[in-house]
Amino acid sequence: MAAAAAEATTDGGGKMIILISADGKRFEVTEAVASQSQLISNMIEDDCTENGVRLPNVDGDILTMVVDYCNMHAGDAAAAGDTMKASSTEEELKKFDAELVQALENPVLFKLILAANFLNIKSLLDMTCQRVADMMSGKTPEQMRETFSIENDFTPEEEAAIRQENAWAFDD
Amino acid sequence: MQVWFRFGEVAIVAPRFGLVPIWSQPARPWRRKQILSCSSRGGGCGGGGEEEEEGGGGCGGGGAMTYFPEEVVEHIFSFLPAQRDRNTVSLVCKVWYEIERLSRRGVFVGNCYAVRAGRVAARFPNVRALTVKGKPHFADFNLVPPDWGGYAAPWIEAAARGCHGLEELRMKRMVVSDESLELLARSFPRFRALVLISCEGFSTDGLAAVASHCKLLRELDLQENEVEDRGPRWLSCFPDSCTSLVSLNFACIKGEVNAGSLERLVSRSPNLRSLRLNRSVSVDTLAKILLRTPNLEDLGTGNLTDDFQTESYFKLTSALEKCKMLRSLSGFWDASPVCLSFIYPLCAQLTGLNLSYAPTLDASDLTKMISRCVKLQRLWVLDCISDKGLQVVASSCKDLQELRVFPSDFYVAGYSAVTEEGLVAVSLGCPKLNSLLYFCHQMTNAALVTVAKNCPNFTRFRLCILEPGKPDVVTSQPLDEGFGAIVRECKGLQRLSISGLLTDKVFMYIGKYAKQLEMLSIAFAGDSDKGMMHVMNGCKNLRKLEIRDSPFGDAALLGNFARYETMRSLWMSSCNVTLKGCQVLASKMPMLNVEVINERDGSNEMEENHGDLPKVEKLYVYRTTAGARDDAPNFMVGGIWEEAGAAATVAVADNLLIPIATAVAAGRLDGLIVIN
Repeated sequence: MAAAAAEATTDGGGKMIILISADGKRFEVTEAVASQSQLISNMIEDDCTENGVRLPNVDGDILTMVVDYCNMHAGDAAAAGDTMKASSTEEELKKFDAELVQALENPVLFKLILAANFLNIKSLLDMTCQRVADMMSGKTPEQMRETFSIENDFTPEEEAAIRQENAWAFDD
Repeated sequence: MQVWFRFGEVAIVAPRFGLVPIWSQPARPWRRKQILSCSSRGGGCGGGGEEEEEGGGGCGGGGAMTYFPEEVVEHIFSFLPAQRDRNTVSLVCKVWYEIERLSRRGVFVGNCYAVRAGRVAARFPNVRALTVKGKPHFADFNLVPPDWGGYAAPWIEAAARGCHGLEELRMKRMVVSDESLELLARSFPRFRALVLISCEGFSTDGLAAVASHCKLLRELDLQENEVEDRGPRWLSCFPDSCTSLVSLNFACIKGEVNAGSLERLVSRSPNLRSLRLNRSVSVDTLAKILLRTPNLEDLGTGNLTDDFQTESYFKLTSALEKCKMLRSLSGFWDASPVCLSFIYPLCAQLTGLNLSYAPTLDASDLTKMISRCVKLQRLWVLDCISDKGLQVVASSCKDLQELRVFPSDFYVAGYSAVTEEGLVAVSLGCPKLNSLLYFCHQMTNAALVTVAKNCPNFTRFRLCILEPGKPDVVTSQPLDEGFGAIVRECKGLQRLSISGLLTDKVFMYIGKYAKQLEMLSIAFAGDSDKGMMHVMNGCKNLRKLEIRDSPFGDAALLGNFARYETMRSLWMSSCNVTLKGCQVLASKMPMLNVEVINERDGSNEMEENHGDLPKVEKLYVYRTTAGARDDAPNFMVGGIWEEAGAAATVAVADNLLIPIATAVAAGRLDGLIVIN
């Protein structure tokens, strides 16, 4: 489990960082893995990760996915001290990514997007946002509202006006 | 415009382009901003308190897209480049509408009078790539008066006022002034692509301004424009710092260009992929240029006459051999048959070949070359290729997807134009064929039935039999069954042009089977209002309908007038529609603009038509959110028009634009507003 000392180092010498989820779960990762989060990367630069990084708005189950993702994508840098995980091939990564986002129910996918945004992990954010965009494509406004639980706050007149302008002026 | 021919009494110019809007993926600086946004029902999906974590970075919301930061919603939208999807997103809720409009990068306006330019700029202030189309398609056939409209100025001015991030502008069939090009050149610091297709109104001075000031220009693509030539200076105006060109097409410019300037420009453009030269560029210059462009993919040659020395052609061959990426070839200005052999080594790698500017080449010249082009997917050629030549195409080009056969400028003894035989041969040999434009002298039903069976994947099928109303050349029957087979077999057909002798039956087939049809062109066809009604009622996806010289009248025009709100436009010229019909349409459908274009003297319009209102010469109907346009030529009026002798019905028709002379001849005018 989580190292007692947040400053623990691996055999390979890479510095370890402890991430702490909203519900108190602790994750020990290398700096290389954690640095894929721009937020944490900045914290590392600022030397404020000694006592672990508390992520009060990322649940443990979501953080598990994020850490898995970062481990997969850390590449050679991350694998340097970890003989169990040789650097992933491109196909493996693609497969991993595809399975990760395809399998998710919307509520989890959305939480993952918010976590990726908060942690500022661009590749994960792009991938998850792409997945949502794919779900949107080809849908009607009504289907989108249904899928994403969004209330229609247009008056019927407003909606009709936009619908008409879209169809008449911006038809492709 | 190159290919002119006579169709009835009207000179026609063959269209030869496809406008493909290129959507730019936004190059978006990564922002960190956490804003709670997006109204929502909240816990509809996955529970979780929607109130939690307000200050904590917006990450704690429920399973819905509740409380997504605006930047995340915008980021998701950035993966939706298609205008259709963007439109849908804008209708979901107010916040999405705002996020979408402020982040839309590509905007396509299919009719410049369907919306005001200022409105587009206000709704999409951050547009990067704007595409606007102007005149009706029949302008290509000289059916639209030159001063009709379609001005680019309001669009460029509106963008200059409100859309400083504009990078790409594409316009088709618009009138673009030098002043507008000057404004464009100075208004958009990141401007990088100008594509003008079938536009007019500008000179090489306007291009000089673009060349001088658009320092990041990547694409200058001038296709089929009427450009006034004011000397070779414009090409020399690209500053030495301009090194970003990816695409340069000035094939439509008639005048000389400075060979030295051209060479220097090309040699400092390492990213150049597409280069289409004009007739003035010599073989020597071309050979020199090609040594500088090893990555060229698309080349429009300059002049290929035999005035040049053989040595020059040897240089050309060796330069071409270095262009391993070259896939598409056009130009061939004044090409001499002996010069073609110097191109042969390149043929095997070509996927696109446009020989439609080369009337100097005969069937055997063309076939010698084409037989070597075994990877060809797109071929544009003049009809002097003959049926025999098309058989060579059929046996050589197994991957052919698009074929356009244009009519020759002139008939030369010994050249036989193409017939149904050539088309059948190609359909047999080229099973991937999906797009056709075919000008021919004769056709048969049997041939069309065969073609439909051989190539069921047609999405575009445009057949133009040069002699109007010509029947099946074997049976003398109408061609209804032949075109019927096309619409029945080709389920994905989106664009169709029909010609030859045709009765209402063909429209019954079209209405019944052409469910994906978006654009239909009709000439000299049909025998009653029923014909047009079949199309109006049957083709649910129809967006553009253009008809000329066909016996459709008011009953057809008004039979399903609600349909016009689902269509981009209707064009009818030399049909049986009357002013009364137009007036009724305008009054019933206030959101349509009903434009009547009569070029002849109004008094002539009163003739015949047994005392009814006169027939209108040309009618253009389109839906619009902008109201009546304010740039109609001064021969057109809009206003309150009262029919003579029918005082009981006073039509208020702001949206009816009719020529003054016609209106005066037809009746009394009240509250006339003359628009200049």
